[in-house]
Amino acid sequence: MIPGLGALTQDTLWCFSQVKGTVEVGATEADIISTVEFNHTGELLATGDKGGRVVIFQREQESKNQVHRRGEYNVYSTFQSHEPEFDYLKSLEIEEKINKIRWLPQQNAAYFLLSTNDKTVKLWKVSERDKRPEGYNLKDEEGRLRDPATITTLRVPVLRPMDLMVEATPRRVFANAHTYHINSISVNSDYETYMSADDLRINLWNFEITNQSFNIVDIKPANMEELTEVITAAEFHPHHCNTFVYSSSKGTIRLCDMRASALCDRHTKFFEEPEDPSNRSFFSEIISSISDVKFSHSGRYIMTRDYLTVKVWDLNMENRPIETYQVHDYLRSKLCSLYENDCIFDKFECVWNGSDSVIMTGSYNNFFRMFDRNTKRDVTLEASRENSKPRAILKPRKVCVGGKRRKDEISVDSLDFSKKILHTAWHPSENIIAVAATNNLYIFQDKVN
Amino acid sequence: MVGGLKRKHSDLEEEEEDEKWDWSPAGLRSYQQALLRISLDKVQRSLGPRAPSLRRHVLIHNTLQQLQAALCLTPAPPLPPEPLFLGEEDFSLSATIGSILRELETSMDETEPLQNPAAPPSPQNEVLPQPDPVFLEALSSRYLGDSGLDDFFLDIDTSTVEKEPAGAPPEPPHNLFCVPGSWEWNELDHIMEIILGS
Repeated sequence: MIPGLGALTQDTLWCFSQVKGTVEVGATEADIISTVEFNHTGELLATGDKGGRVVIFQREQESKNQVHRRGEYNVYSTFQSHEPEFDYLKSLEIEEKINKIRWLPQQNAAYFLLSTNDKTVKLWKVSERDKRPEGYNLKDEEGRLRDPATITTLRVPVLRPMDLMVEATPRRVFANAHTYHINSISVNSDYETYMSADDLRINLWNFEITNQSFNIVDIKPANMEELTEVITAAEFHPHHCNTFVYSSSKGTIRLCDMRASALCDRHTKFFEEPEDPSNRSFFSEIISSISDVKFSHSGRYIMTRDYLTVKVWDLNMENRPIETYQVHDYLRSKLCSLYENDCIFDKFECVWNGSDSVIMTGSYNNFFRMFDRNTKRDVTLEASRENSKPRAILKPRKVCVGGKRRKDEISVDSLDFSKKILHTAWHPSENIIAVAATNNLYIFQDKVN
Repeated sequence: MVGGLKRKHSDLEEEEEDEKWDWSPAGLRSYQQALLRISLDKVQRSLGPRAPSLRRHVLIHNTLQQLQAALCLTPAPPLPPEPLFLGEEDFSLSATIGSILRELETSMDETEPLQNPAAPPSPQNEVLPQPDPVFLEALSSRYLGDSGLDDFFLDIDTSTVEKEPAGAPPEPPHNLFCVPGSWEWNELDHIMEIILGS
């Protein structure tokens, strides 16, 4: 761990490191990245896309010759996780888009991750093979069966080295448990169970059992016409395996304890900030809808993202957040247009750095924002091909809200709302971030002095 | 983008707390009309081959209910005699939205197990889910356009929106809303025809 890690001081400069993905303008929709996640050591970085594919990058070992060059991430494995499906009974397509990837902590040589689309969660095993057995008795070198009459001796096959091959195999398929669209999966700290959450229900699974799950939250009303609120995100506490939180479309967070009852319909804690009457509009509820909820690594705080802000909550204080950060408040006067073009429904994610001192989230125009909780400084950076020279330092960006626009500023009306950064990830212990900009994955690192 | 609307919208938001606020009738009306048009359009468009996003649907539904509440502050004017309209209580807006949600529930009936997916999807026109017949009839009926917007709100269940939130905007003057035969009435008429005709 680097001392002072993650502090967004004046000395922290972010540099371009790598970009993955195609350059051409007409990239297919299947290439749009829909989730990004580092594993627990930061050695691996996984992305999922709309086409149902998972791409895993591995960090190369740092070479002694180039101490100033941190390890780069190169493709380690690519596989098709989910395929498009069609539900004939309901005449509905089921998208293959990967909504979330979550890594399991590594317990042996193989890597395990969960990937999910709207309906089905899968456990994938990613393992290396660098040896293969040769000298079978019953098969020849090409694998064809030998005529038993020709076999006159017995020998033991030996393992011989081969070119490294990384293979991904689906070990478990957890299907048919969600009527509505899965928005979250979260691995429990016991490493034996995980949960999957859809719009109205949360299920608890054991990794070994695929044909049943426990329903732990159900907010479906008896009469669907009375439905006014849905579940938007859910996560287990990082240390307490009985505790989890889930957020809603009305801007509330509920913390539940599974020891209290089998069905956690009654929350242990209820987090909600009272509405500011001066900001009330027809869109108040939509912009209060929480799109992401994340526990801090310490487990003492939760962070939520709604359309315009990021909030940090102390688990011990339910009536209001302890910190609120404005991501792009200049959009507040544009809500009607953003409602019309559907941007107001965009779901931005948010992440903590390894020491919980800095938080990051995305915005439009390929901008993303970082907030230092200690110094209260914030910065806006841009993921673009123009700033893509190796180790080029990212220049802070600024949006001009009114009045005279300075040379380097961009006016609100010039923002490109089709370039949205919804998914970002922060290395668990270093200042390395991965930012998904449509079909490109940018990796930035802080400048090594 | 809704062009000339931006200025009026921001005017509204700045003045919301002001007791002496001047409700520019044209501004408020066109704003609410536009929101209603946009919302109804979204509801219509969300029925398709893909299972709709429940979150988006619920948020639009809740916004529509707020709009209903705002537009219903004046009592509906007496209806012209309209034989086709008798007993057709289902053509209130909330029932329309309700039927959409019912349709959603039917399409997401959890007692049906998932089919084994193998073949690619059939052509578009074979697989579009059929919306509630009541809803379809509401959309296609021409007399809805003739009678105007207020007919939508005949049977609104206002029990959920009865309490006035603190700091709600002051009630607009009565002459703000549509009277049959007025030019605003015809304007709303026109908007509804555009929606229904599309």
